Amino acid sequence: MPPKSKAAPKPKGTEPSKQPTPTPSPASNTTAVPATIAARSQFRYDDSRPHDAARLKIGLAGLPRDEQAAWISARFARTPAARTRLPPKAQRELWRQVNEASFPVRALRGSKHSWGRDRNESEVSGYSAERFDEREGRRAQLTCLEVASRGFRERREREGKGVRDIVTGDKIVVTEAEVEAERIRRGEMAALRSELYGTVQGSFALDPEWDDIVPIPQGEPEAALAAIAYPADYDEAISYLRAVMLKKEYSQRCLRLTETIIEMNPAHYTVWLYRASNVFALKLPITDEMEWLNKVALVNLKNYQIWHHRHLLVDNLYPTLAGNPDELARFATTERKFLTQILVQDTKNYHVWSYRSYLVGKLGVWGSPEELKSIEDLIDDDVRNNSAWSHRFFLVFSDPAHTTPGLAATEPDPAAPQDITDREVEYAKEKINLAPQNQSPWNYLKGVLVKGSQKLSSVEDFASGFVKGLGNKDGSEAVQSTHALDLLAEIYAEKREKEKADLCLRRLGEKWDRIRIGYWEWRRKCLEEA
Amino acid sequence: MKSSFQQRSPPQPQDDSETDEECITERTHYPAFMIPDLFTQLPLVRDALVTSTSQTQDETVDTCLPYLAGEDELFMYNLHGVPNLDRERHIKFLHSSLGRLPGRFLAADASRPWFLYWALSALAIMGEDVSSYREALVDTARGMQNETGGFGGGGKQTSHIATTYAIVLALALVGGEDAFEVIDRKSLWSWLCELKQPDGGFQVFLGGEEDIRGAYCTAVIIRLLNLPLDLTPTSPAWTSDGTVDLFSGVGDYVRRCQTFEGGISGQPNAEAHGAYAFCALGALALLGDPRRTIPRYLDVPRLISWLSSRQYAPEAGFSGRTNKLVDGCYSHWVGGCFPLIEACLSSPGAPDQAAGHPANAVRLPPVPESLFSREGLIRYILCCCQDQSKRGGLRDKPGKMSDAYHSCYVLSGLSSAQHQWQLAPSGTEDDSTAATVDLVWTVLPYLDDVQVFDQKNLVRPIHPVYAIPLHSQQAIRSYFLAKEGF
Repeated sequence: MPPKSKAAPKPKGTEPSKQPTPTPSPASNTTAVPATIAARSQFRYDDSRPHDAARLKIGLAGLPRDEQAAWISARFARTPAARTRLPPKAQRELWRQVNEASFPVRALRGSKHSWGRDRNESEVSGYSAERFDEREGRRAQLTCLEVASRGFRERREREGKGVRDIVTGDKIVVTEAEVEAERIRRGEMAALRSELYGTVQGSFALDPEWDDIVPIPQGEPEAALAAIAYPADYDEAISYLRAVMLKKEYSQRCLRLTETIIEMNPAHYTVWLYRASNVFALKLPITDEMEWLNKVALVNLKNYQIWHHRHLLVDNLYPTLAGNPDELARFATTERKFLTQILVQDTKNYHVWSYRSYLVGKLGVWGSPEELKSIEDLIDDDVRNNSAWSHRFFLVFSDPAHTTPGLAATEPDPAAPQDITDREVEYAKEKINLAPQNQSPWNYLKGVLVKGSQKLSSVEDFASGFVKGLGNKDGSEAVQSTHALDLLAEIYAEKREKEKADLCLRRLGEKWDRIRIGYWEWRRKCLEEA
Repeated sequence: MKSSFQQRSPPQPQDDSETDEECITERTHYPAFMIPDLFTQLPLVRDALVTSTSQTQDETVDTCLPYLAGEDELFMYNLHGVPNLDRERHIKFLHSSLGRLPGRFLAADASRPWFLYWALSALAIMGEDVSSYREALVDTARGMQNETGGFGGGGKQTSHIATTYAIVLALALVGGEDAFEVIDRKSLWSWLCELKQPDGGFQVFLGGEEDIRGAYCTAVIIRLLNLPLDLTPTSPAWTSDGTVDLFSGVGDYVRRCQTFEGGISGQPNAEAHGAYAFCALGALALLGDPRRTIPRYLDVPRLISWLSSRQYAPEAGFSGRTNKLVDGCYSHWVGGCFPLIEACLSSPGAPDQAAGHPANAVRLPPVPESLFSREGLIRYILCCCQDQSKRGGLRDKPGKMSDAYHSCYVLSGLSSAQHQWQLAPSGTEDDSTAATVDLVWTVLPYLDDVQVFDQKNLVRPIHPVYAIPLHSQQAIRSYFLAKEGF
């Protein structure tokens, strides 16, 4: 430890009264109390070394004779080694002068002391005496709290080791009240530290509950690329996370820790995975976790992790539902309600839809009329919602009740029932009529026809209704849907009417869908190959 | 914002040094740019019915049109109404995205390896030498590697297949033995075995979701690092008869991700999405000769139809799904599928496809010119995706902030649109040999009838499967091919 210089000089017996005396004081000739503690120290310093400041300024020889003599006497008086070398007579003369002048025998040491800076980066030396005393009071208060806090930690350590109390002989037990008192104490300490030094302490370091965990800092190399300047609270929380993950702790406090981190950064997949481990290890009610998750999901729409977490929860919950159709139906309804709610905010959210198809498969609710109705509602709201169309296709054509396993999505399935295929064809046509240039129901229509092993030409009349006078050069050519034209090209190809097919493709490239001309030209080549 | 386009400012004299005379003349004699009306007018066929999809679509077109029509004041346009690639600003933006990031990037804390790949890749595409980042990247990557194999999204995070992929590509980009040797291949390989699932797919991290990203990223890692395909007995997919390896069932998994629309979904039974189309094709192309593997597992005509449908006019960039909006990043995810597909269809010596998906029974002809509008994509990228403020960088669409992700994939897409790849004839029918893994890819700039961009805006080609420059891919693979054992 560096030698501690005295912050405030103690009054000394030999020192004259502290009040500025009429004797001209070398440094400050003010009569008022020094404005700052630095000025006060300077004053005291100068006051203990009469004529020294003037001597430094103009040299000993420049001083009046009496001041010269006084300065020399003072030097001798406080330098015993020099003094004892004086002849006895000179020593007596010296003491006489000292008595007469009554100047201080002891001089204060050099004034290079640093008072430090406060939380605002201001020099403490600029404080007024009152303000400084107040600050020192706080510092003392903090020291007291720190001592008490150390006492708490020691007691806790002893408790852990099973040490007995010396007086009572009982095992030391740290009570809840003591922990609570310590928590309050640390709050006070943090407030004081913040006030005095501007240091911010993380909430984990302040919480006695986390005393047993030694946080593991990030430890990134200085030159690391794209390093993120962590906010302090995140930095601290993540350091605690690393530590508890390393010791594979699963507990309520870890669960809370994951929640804190997820709130700050929901994209942190590691913390989600660890949260799931906690939920399962502690055997917490899955429904509680899902309720919590709902809230998180509603504020973090674009997030992979939330939906994978939900997936894990459902996998875990499923065995308890499997044997109970009522429970399962109830669960399916709750989930559907929630998914509907979340899709209102983002109707095409990919993660939500992927989860939804997983859920249908897991719970086996392909045939659920409510599920189909829910999708129809979304399509009624926005007939261009392709996510809803995709889900409908999955509901209808992946139902294991009438699906041949192992077929690709664009392969015909002999197990697809005719009535369902017909129903879906009609549904698609109905929606196409609302907005013929909407590609979703056209893709759906073609998908249904292929799955249901129907000839594309079964919708030739329907598709032709959107195209008038194709190839006419008199300006009567009218196309209401490029997708109809595309399908017609396929229909004619299927019917081996190459020229008609080629005309459709040519007109698409030349006029109706020019951006895709390269594709339409390739399709024309395909016709030649067929 | 729109009103600002009505007033056209005269060319700024201080820009003269950067601009040739013609540009200035063109600007003052507006509207004389040679821009096909395809890119300046609403599509011919439109429905009257208004839904939220059509509303956002119309808004997007409104936003893009002034940029496409050469009306943006910040740009200097050429004769074709196309501005230059503002390399200087983009390069500056990307360098700074590799520096220390402020706290608002917190959400990226679990995906920092991506930032490394995005920025380095974008710089490399613009011809910058990124090897100066080697030392710093080596240190950064080391801190993210786990002893149990793979790399996490940051220090002491669980290993993730996507972040591992990003780190491996970033290391390949900076190149050099020091960078390659960071990777603990043995633990990486055994970790990949743990991720392998009995249904052929891969989890993205232990206990994580299984999706097609897992398949693509794993395949890239295995091939670049020349990892063995054998499974460890601790793999969930391991069988005692030894018939299953890391690539077993991948093709079928990909096949199950193709949807009725023809596109590819992230996992079976979801919606077709552009990002996954690239993953699917990439994964198949790494299993063996893509001219065989792609038609074996996918309905190619449907896939091409779906991919082609992603390009709308007048925006001319790509969307990621049916009835979704254009976004610069799909220039790569969708646009990047075309070089591979065109090469497969057009390269001589395409092997017999008959054994594949029933829909491919008809021989698919070579592509006459190009399957997509390269001019359109280039226009969208140069007109709409450049942040021409001081900030620089590339973006989703006008009005959005530029970022490293979009910079990388918009530039990758630009590269795809400017180049044409060819595959040398494959001499073998056996997909497992090195000959099919190391197919000979050659590349030339794509020559359009009218080249709408100035020659100095030509960016570097990137490998149609690995999405890094060819020489970077070859350097890392040959390094590990030459290495014995781990």
